[in-house]
Amino acid sequence: MTTKNILKSLTGSILLTIATSAVFFQASAREPFTKEELKAQEKKLLVAVEEGYNLWHGSNPTMQNNGLACGNCHPDAAASNPQTFPKYHTAFDRVVTWREMVNWCIQNPQGGKVLDVGGPEMLAIEAYAFNLHRGLPIEPGLASRQTKPIKVDYGKGFPSKPSGIGFDTK
Amino acid sequence: MDTKNERSRRDFLGLTGKAGLSTLVASAAGINLGVIDLVHAGSKKVTPFRMAMISDSHLYSQDGHKFDLQLEDAVAQVNALEIQPDFVLYGGDIAQNGTEDQLAKGKKILANLKPKMMVIPGEHDWYLDMGAAWRGMFGKDYWSFDHKGVHFIGFNSILVKDFWTEKGLTNKQRMEAMEMLEGPIGGLWGIQAEQLEWLKKDVAKLSPDTPVVTFSHSPLWDYYPRWNFQTSDAPEIRKILSKFVNVTSFHGHVHQTIYNKIGNMTSIGAMSTSWPWPYPPVNVKYPESQQYRADPGNEQDGMGTLQASFSPNGGKAQHLPFADSLTPFLKNGIKI
Repeated sequence: MTTKNILKSLTGSILLTIATSAVFFQASAREPFTKEELKAQEKKLLVAVEEGYNLWHGSNPTMQNNGLACGNCHPDAAASNPQTFPKYHTAFDRVVTWREMVNWCIQNPQGGKVLDVGGPEMLAIEAYAFNLHRGLPIEPGLASRQTKPIKVDYGKGFPSKPSGIGFDTK
Repeated sequence: MDTKNERSRRDFLGLTGKAGLSTLVASAAGINLGVIDLVHAGSKKVTPFRMAMISDSHLYSQDGHKFDLQLEDAVAQVNALEIQPDFVLYGGDIAQNGTEDQLAKGKKILANLKPKMMVIPGEHDWYLDMGAAWRGMFGKDYWSFDHKGVHFIGFNSILVKDFWTEKGLTNKQRMEAMEMLEGPIGGLWGIQAEQLEWLKKDVAKLSPDTPVVTFSHSPLWDYYPRWNFQTSDAPEIRKILSKFVNVTSFHGHVHQTIYNKIGNMTSIGAMSTSWPWPYPPVNVKYPESQQYRADPGNEQDGMGTLQASFSPNGGKAQHLPFADSLTPFLKNGIKI
């Protein structure tokens, strides 16, 4: 057997092995979650998103002392820009997380009590705002630009239980 | 880390008042800051005069609320204009929740204006009692008058069809539904049939060269319906007014500088005195008319008032921001 033939044979064996293992892998693979499991996960996510939506629109009175909610200035979570964090913030003079920015808004324009940065309410707020910003590129950066707004076609911007009073439930 | 701003609001004013002051001084010196030329608004019939506009103060019931002070700033800004306007137009949304105390507070603050004031309603003024308190304090919700050769028209542009009776909503629930900006539960609003009929009659005898200026809470064009940045019967309004050489529409509601031109109608959106809104996700014809993104750490940024002048040779509209948030386009003016 020449060196050339040995190499050819060896390559053939390797390819066969790869092909076999791929077939074996494919045969033994399963989706990581069943449809039912995914549905249950989606439901839990939407519970958090819905709670975030409610908090965004003023459901926790400790988040303000002047009647203002996140939604006053950020309809459809516009210009909250979670995809641009972490970024430099002038009031902190350092790079901050989006959660720190939320607390800054609660404390300053809204005059309220900050949320636990790792708590369930902050998590819910994050779930809502991030959900609405799905698909936007992550662009950590500076605060100076007019950032790209998000388009919400109808309803609250996520699947939600209809309120039954009209336009928002379409 | 505690990050509460310890600087008081008045410090902010001290800090940012400079920008506002320079605007006023520069304006007096003849440099056009925030000026939009309304060149076609001119007519030989016009005797020169000025008007001002204040809009969207969204007052809460709380005493000493920062929005009260911001409306006071707007009143002071207009009163300080070197050439006084003949009248001030209030563009709607005096109140946040439509309560009588909020409307009364607004009326009291606005009573300090040196010029007389004309008012149109916004949805926040209206839907708690369907305008009962508002009309009691300010009178008719749509009107017109002639002033020094210009015909002025005020609309109530925030009227929706009854969505509450069938659902059995309380007055407060109806108000809360209309307070929501995004995905308006009440649907799209407009001036509706009664005002359209009135408008036809109102302008029937005017000659086409009469400059016409309209005031409405919402823009008379389809800007972003999801936030009710629209008036559903605007096409009909524009059609009725199409015989005129020039129509200028001033509106509030959008809490931002915005400009558009459709046919003979030039449309100008006023800043609010309460808070600025982000620009909605739509491509606009004149993107250069969008103010800079407001600094959330500066409580005066992105808000202000407006003045406009009218003369035989044309007119100009000038945004007067509390803190300077205007693009070069808005500062230098445009030919229309």
